[in-house]
Amino acid sequence: MHSIWAVAKNTIRQALRMKIAAVFIILLLVLLPVMGLITTGDGTLKGRLQTFISYSMSLTSLLLCMFTIIATTFSLTNDIKQKQIFTVLTKPIRRSQLLIGKLLGVTILSSALLALFSVIIYTIVIYTPKFYNASQDELKQVNNEFFTARASLTPTDIDVTDEVNKLYEKLERNGQIPPNTSPRAVKALLTMQKKLEKRAAEVGGELLWEFNNVKPLDPNQSIFVKFKYDVAVNPPDLQIYGRWVIGDYRQIQSGKIETPIRYFDRKDLIRTVYEVEVPADVIAEDGFLAVGFINTTLNDTVVMFPPKDGLEVLYKADTFTANFIRAALLILLRLVFLACFAILASTFLSFPVAILLCLTIFSTATVSTFIVESFDFMSENVSAAYRYTLKPIIQLLPQFDKISPSKFLIHGQLLSWSMLAKVAGIMICIKAALVLMLALLIFTYREIAKVII
Amino acid sequence: MEHAIETFSLTKIFTDWWGRNRVYAVEDLNLKIKYNEVFGLLGPNGSGKTTTLKMLLGLLYPTKGKAAIFGGDGTDPKINARIGFLPEESYLYKYLNARETLDFYGRIFGLPAKVRKMRIETLLDMVGLKTVANRPVGTFSKGMARRIGLAQALINDPDLLILDEPTTGLDPIGTRQIKDLVIQLAKRGKTILLCSHLLADVEDVCDRIAILYGGKIQTEGQVKDLLLQTDKKQININSGSITDITTEKIKRLIKADKAECEITSPMEKLETFFIKTVVAAQQQDKSTSGAVSTTQISDFLASKSIEENILDKLVSAPVSKPTESTTTEKVELLKTTEPQPDKQLLEQLTKPAEPVKTVSADETETTEPQIPELEKNEKNILEQLTDRSASKNDNTEQTDTQTGESGDA
Repeated sequence: MHSIWAVAKNTIRQALRMKIAAVFIILLLVLLPVMGLITTGDGTLKGRLQTFISYSMSLTSLLLCMFTIIATTFSLTNDIKQKQIFTVLTKPIRRSQLLIGKLLGVTILSSALLALFSVIIYTIVIYTPKFYNASQDELKQVNNEFFTARASLTPTDIDVTDEVNKLYEKLERNGQIPPNTSPRAVKALLTMQKKLEKRAAEVGGELLWEFNNVKPLDPNQSIFVKFKYDVAVNPPDLQIYGRWVIGDYRQIQSGKIETPIRYFDRKDLIRTVYEVEVPADVIAEDGFLAVGFINTTLNDTVVMFPPKDGLEVLYKADTFTANFIRAALLILLRLVFLACFAILASTFLSFPVAILLCLTIFSTATVSTFIVESFDFMSENVSAAYRYTLKPIIQLLPQFDKISPSKFLIHGQLLSWSMLAKVAGIMICIKAALVLMLALLIFTYREIAKVII
Repeated sequence: MEHAIETFSLTKIFTDWWGRNRVYAVEDLNLKIKYNEVFGLLGPNGSGKTTTLKMLLGLLYPTKGKAAIFGGDGTDPKINARIGFLPEESYLYKYLNARETLDFYGRIFGLPAKVRKMRIETLLDMVGLKTVANRPVGTFSKGMARRIGLAQALINDPDLLILDEPTTGLDPIGTRQIKDLVIQLAKRGKTILLCSHLLADVEDVCDRIAILYGGKIQTEGQVKDLLLQTDKKQININSGSITDITTEKIKRLIKADKAECEITSPMEKLETFFIKTVVAAQQQDKSTSGAVSTTQISDFLASKSIEENILDKLVSAPVSKPTESTTTEKVELLKTTEPQPDKQLLEQLTKPAEPVKTVSADETETTEPQIPELEKNEKNILEQLTDRSASKNDNTEQTDTQTGESGDA
């Protein structure tokens, strides 16, 4: 352990004294306060805070990721190029200990810098409302929607495979399948239609969503129902008359009313997001909550709720501070993964090539969803080959954009410990561990004194 | 386990990316270096010396054969803990200062803080870098970097010291200090593998040598056996008052024996002259921004009075039996050699009191040139130059022995 610690300490000294860290520290120390002063967002306090936290967290994450990649690759490739490694490896230290020492050093330094900049961002965010001449409504809004950590509940995706298969067979029997169309394409279309039906209410019809395990931080506070209407035919005034029923409907069946069931009628524009505040007392003691929508006869069209942002139930599950700490830890997970990958690249590549590879992986990870979807779309005709070759490799790449820390903070959305643990499990315990094992394997069998051109 | 280092048909072939251009860097090398031996690996550039060292230390893997240090693998941390290695260049972290550099390596060895600190200060003192210990080593001259490189190789009190071109970039005093150090360490039971193409360095300190060329050993053996010229004799006259008449008599005598001779006054070696000049400047307290080339090595290794000095830590093994070839060349040539002349001839030669002359004779059988014996050379050259007293030298000898017996702290 003493040799690992010696290498870690030396790596920290190297990053600090070779002024690698200095560039990033100065940039962030200047940019973060300046951003705090100049960002205005949409002019409201909430907009200002959302813009600042979005830019500052993204910038901090980006620069620290770059720092981690550069510091790690430089540390190892420079040791090999300048041959200091000859002197180190002839001392009683295993090659694996050298790599772990380097990794530890960069991780400690990155964590310290992340902690420093997180404190700066947090301080600016907390003090912004005090320096901003905001109205009471604005303050209430930021408290409800920004300085919070709201858990989000969305309707579960209903499995329609059986229905689709039956419908397909029926259409096939009746000869209604268009020629030159693959069964896969027809079934995909039918699945989309069926899922849409499940989220649509005809005139006079209703939709019911059930949620379990709803546990607000404070039962005396409110929950929020967020929704957006879509329609088959646009109404003349582009508005929908809807009745909402929120509460534990099981009480009606049992006849024993313990928690209130709240009704309210609304008239809202189509394709616009609304957020309705409801007292949290509607939630049953066991955490059950039902939300119902009735498409009133005042309307003349089918009302649908889009799959992505059609309906969402939000409630405060934790504080902003705790959420902010978890968001910072999420960034730390990225840094650890990148440090592991940079170590791997440095075990067999020279500095410029290792940097290039790491930056490519980093860029890919930040747009991974787009890449995965693109490949999925392009490979429709070569599905088998794609599924067994390229897809597993793509799946091995980290997916930074799938869970973005700033996205949670902007909307005051809860980033739970379980979510963080899941990311840590996949990104660190599986992917980073695999990367590190590969690095150890390569480095152990590499001839250190052999010149690589 | 008889040998500290042993190689068995060690071979290294370098190929290009396609596996072509096969170059035999080392070919079928069978090296055996005994414990407590100073072994010199000689050869011109590209002869495979450094490649051999790298294979010994696990920095390169042999294509064929095997290398063993202390009967084990050179990559085993337990073996590494007993080795001190000075690579062909010092390869230091430029952003660390001299003290931090030694601290870093001391930490890798897991030395306790107190021992580490003591060793660092002692080593800095020894290599003459104490005054610049807080300067980044990136700002050091090549010679200064070499000195700190040597210090890092000694921080663990190694049983085996592997030195690759140790005197490269060093001034003559530094070179002499390293040679003295090698001798002192060998006296205390260390095994030393010295790799160099500077023949004078090797000749002065090594017990045995091997000459490599094209990756193969061309010759191997005891230095004195290899260098002894049995067809020539040399007479050294250690007197400043020998007259011209006497020299003429000597010439006649040798001519009578059908041999030729030449009598000249000996020249002082440039190394000696240089050391004298620098020592004189140091005595006048002239400042320098570089390494302080003093008598530190000799004083240091010889001194017993310093509590927990380097001897306690660096050279703790028992004092070995001195051998002829572990001596260094004395600067004052007339004093260093110990001729054993024919008594009769000597009487004839030394009858009149005449000025000093050196006689070298071809095809005569008066005396054989002798490799200097250790006991005669214990007095360090730098001590001689700085007029150290003989009594101190005696004390030094006692110190060495006592330290060797006391063992490591």
